[in-house]
Amino acid sequence: MSKTFDGKVVAVDGVTLDIAAGEFFSLLGPSGCGKTTSLRMIAGFEMPDAGRVHVGGQDITDVPVHRRDMGMVFQSYALFPHRTVVQNVAFGLRMRDVPRADIDRRVAAALAQVALTGMEDRRPSQLSGGQQQRVALARALVIEPRVLLCDEPLGALDRKLRQQMQFELKELQRRLGVTLVFVTHDQEEALAMSDRIAVMNRGRVEQVGAPTEIYGRPRTRFVADFIGEINLLEEAGKPRALRPEKIQLVPPAQARLSGTVETANFLGGATLYRVQAGGRIWLARETHAGERSPRSPGDPVGLAWNDADIVTLES
Amino acid sequence: MSAAANRKPFDAGRAAYLALNIVLLAFLLAPIAIVIVFALNPTPFISFPPVGVSLRWFEKFFASSDFMNALWLSLWVAACVLVLSVVIGGACALALARGNLPGRTFLTAFFMSPLMLPAILTGLALFQSYLLAGIGRPIWGLIMAHTLIAVPYVLRTTLAVLHNFDHRIEEAAAALGASPARVFFEVTLPLIQPGVFAGGVFAFIVSFDQFPVSLFLVVPKSETLPVVLYNYMKFDLDGAIAAASMVSILLALSVVLAMERLIGLKAYVKL
Repeated sequence: MSKTFDGKVVAVDGVTLDIAAGEFFSLLGPSGCGKTTSLRMIAGFEMPDAGRVHVGGQDITDVPVHRRDMGMVFQSYALFPHRTVVQNVAFGLRMRDVPRADIDRRVAAALAQVALTGMEDRRPSQLSGGQQQRVALARALVIEPRVLLCDEPLGALDRKLRQQMQFELKELQRRLGVTLVFVTHDQEEALAMSDRIAVMNRGRVEQVGAPTEIYGRPRTRFVADFIGEINLLEEAGKPRALRPEKIQLVPPAQARLSGTVETANFLGGATLYRVQAGGRIWLARETHAGERSPRSPGDPVGLAWNDADIVTLES
Repeated sequence: MSAAANRKPFDAGRAAYLALNIVLLAFLLAPIAIVIVFALNPTPFISFPPVGVSLRWFEKFFASSDFMNALWLSLWVAACVLVLSVVIGGACALALARGNLPGRTFLTAFFMSPLMLPAILTGLALFQSYLLAGIGRPIWGLIMAHTLIAVPYVLRTTLAVLHNFDHRIEEAAAALGASPARVFFEVTLPLIQPGVFAGGVFAFIVSFDQFPVSLFLVVPKSETLPVVLYNYMKFDLDGAIAAASMVSILLALSVVLAMERLIGLKAYVKL
């Protein structure tokens, strides 16, 4: 059976998104870029001034929040503090007048899915941040929503836990086949989890594409600069960009450009160099097997690259 | 290690802090202690030092139909005021915190204004308005007057809770399929309830202890306890007054404790 799903949001700033069924779709951008507002319009918390929201070919713009059948996960979790874990997760089913026995079964299954079995009678305040996040996830998923909306759901977790939850969320989304719209300002998170990403800036979508596309073929200067590190160049009046890992450090004799190492940031599996050459600073990333590269600040060094790796940006 | 080596050095700041607290507590509690002494002292006039312990003034208080009628009337009025001010104050607080009303600051100040006005003026003004309106001085007029003064207390405590309320909790409930009415009853109300009830306790006490406003609005034979006590004191100054005060204090205290048992005001002490 196939189901088509077209999500379309046109905000005041003219955002149009087509999200496919079962897709992990991220809205990525700095704070204030309109990503959360876009998500809130999909959820129904905000009414678009112009434009419509469609789900599965059906216009839901005028459908109130509580009839949209969407799961929502907030950065602050927004759990009901006066209810236990079970009561939190059961809430959506209770609102749908699901029979008691079915509620018990589905809540238990949802809690098992997020590895929270045994925590049933705790209150949110008795759980860690990661556990609260899982409750929020179970609560949103148990109603089997058409779409799961996540507003920076991992933002409040520390780095280690965030990475673990990234894997878990992605895995869960794939297993359930749920369409997931994910808002984040963390580019690594978006690259790691998404099927497709919409990079937003000042209320506009700058580029939509798969993570490899967004990273490898940024279309605008903003996207190039926002995702990872990049060398922005100017060639024949056109803005161009070159990723640091596409630049090789070579002996000065074989170089297209020679200069001196300004700083060397050891990153573990790689070193990121700032090289002074040709009157500007170049970023170059050299991966290595964990050994500290021998180059130090002040060392003479040559830069080489392949012209095919240079991306031309829209001006 | 010797015990002397472990002794903390004398801390003058801490000692001063403790002393200040003791003085403050004594200042707050001394009147109650004096009332207890007078209530138990059997001499026919309030006098010091006490000469013994007896319950005669309590007997007199409970045996007097004037006092008992006044006590029941006061309790009845205070109970009505509690309910009314909780409903009105709670609704006002919600409207002020959520309603996006124009002139919110002004409206908040307006609803709080009964707190700023001397109660004796409020009493006088209400007395004259009732007279002009030709409604006389019915009990419900008295209840309305007390409610007017009690609402700001409920408003205050409820606004404080709403101020710290994460609106996203309600949004989460809506997203899960709760209609606005269900969001209110399942989420909003249970979460603001402690604030509303804390205000309700204040409202009860404000009404039960209310004197200046009641003075203008009660009619003979149907007077609240503070007014009856005031009139009694004009002619007799015996231990019955102190006994009545003790009963008032204990009643107020038991209301607070009952509320605390019922809904747990502890969460609110931080307010």
